[in-house]
Amino acid sequence: MDIDVSPLILNWQFILTGLGFTISLSLLSIILGAAIGIFGGVARTYGGPLLDTIGGVYVDLVRSIPVLAILVWTYFAFPLVIGESLTPFTGGVLALGVHLGAYITETIRAGLTSVRPGQMRAALALGMSRTQAIRTIILPQAVIRMLPPLGSLIVIAVKDSAIASVIAVPELLRQSQVLAGKTFRPFEIYTSAMLIYFLICYPTARMIDRIYRNLAPLGAS
Amino acid sequence: MTLDWSVVWDNRWRLIAGAEMTILLTAITMMLALPGGLILALLRLSPLRAVRSATTWFVEFFRATPLILQIYWMFYVLPAAFDIRLSEFATALLGLTLNVSSFNSETFRAGIQSIRPGQWNAGLALGMSKPQVMRKIILPQATLRVLPALASTWVSLFKDTSLVSIIAVADLSYVALKIRSETYRVLEVLTAMAALYCLMGYPQAKLVDWLHRRLKVTE
Repeated sequence: MDIDVSPLILNWQFILTGLGFTISLSLLSIILGAAIGIFGGVARTYGGPLLDTIGGVYVDLVRSIPVLAILVWTYFAFPLVIGESLTPFTGGVLALGVHLGAYITETIRAGLTSVRPGQMRAALALGMSRTQAIRTIILPQAVIRMLPPLGSLIVIAVKDSAIASVIAVPELLRQSQVLAGKTFRPFEIYTSAMLIYFLICYPTARMIDRIYRNLAPLGAS
Repeated sequence: MTLDWSVVWDNRWRLIAGAEMTILLTAITMMLALPGGLILALLRLSPLRAVRSATTWFVEFFRATPLILQIYWMFYVLPAAFDIRLSEFATALLGLTLNVSSFNSETFRAGIQSIRPGQWNAGLALGMSKPQVMRKIILPQATLRVLPALASTWVSLFKDTSLVSIIAVADLSYVALKIRSETYRVLEVLTAMAALYCLMGYPQAKLVDWLHRRLKVTE
């Protein structure tokens, strides 16, 4: 087996464009997912039974469907519903963001409800309003507890961005596919794509672990 | 925009066959990945540093790279570079099994390490060898403890099998996308695909929730 990395070196800008799309797709879907998730999580915990049920339906629906199915539906079927076509990138961000939002909703809900009810009762007994109690007592403890699952969701978001290649978003996997098809050197190209993803995800995961290890004692109650 | 749902009804048997393939892939992968994960976990806890190191890199590599890329890699690289020719189904199975084994190994490892050291000490004090303690005392408790996590992995695996459609394995996604390209009824077919996944996935997710409630660890 001869290894020839020259196609990679010659086409480095092509691959770099893909990497840029991967990073921007991941970041934007994380931001969208976080926005949906924070709203959903808070609504499910403190919004009353109606919002809880609606949120529950959203979460159960999105978490039962594969990312591939959500991506394909958002890019091909959703434009038929709204009458506007979406670019692949927009479709990718929307689908991945909605998918991530369901998981973040559950993470935030779990974090908020994991703080012992006695804390809320004590705060209310001391005369704080509900908002004050949530802001000063519950949230600081809850946020620390949410960090590990949120961290792993960030890594999952980067990995799921690769699935957007099926709707032709020109991210790293898609660029690798195109290049491998053109140059017939799948081993070098796909292996380096794997290495690039590893170099993005593994340090991120370890860094999040380290941050949490330092912050964890603050979240115990 | 007129909706024509008869397309879904006419192709229902193909869709059901696709769903069967999805379930088959999930079941076989998990059957292989449970012992696979256990073996990897035990290797990671080995006293030999080289074994520990190599296994750790293996596991972290499969956890930090996207599954879709792993499947592509195996599909294109194994025949081209290593002259290993497997069917699409076998390739998909290989990719899924290695990936899920890595996640399972972390789950098992966490379970094993969560058993109180007193159990180890008591077993060794009674004259058991280390493998005996592991086999008879630690693993039964650890496995029960991580059953909810393994069930969650099962549900994730069920959804991840949709990725094998990219190498033309006839699972639900592949069949649905094929029907879509044949009939051009995009909204109906894709909504039916999502609905079928939901129909299969929702009971599984509720079962996992029940397992979490039932087997909660209270020490």
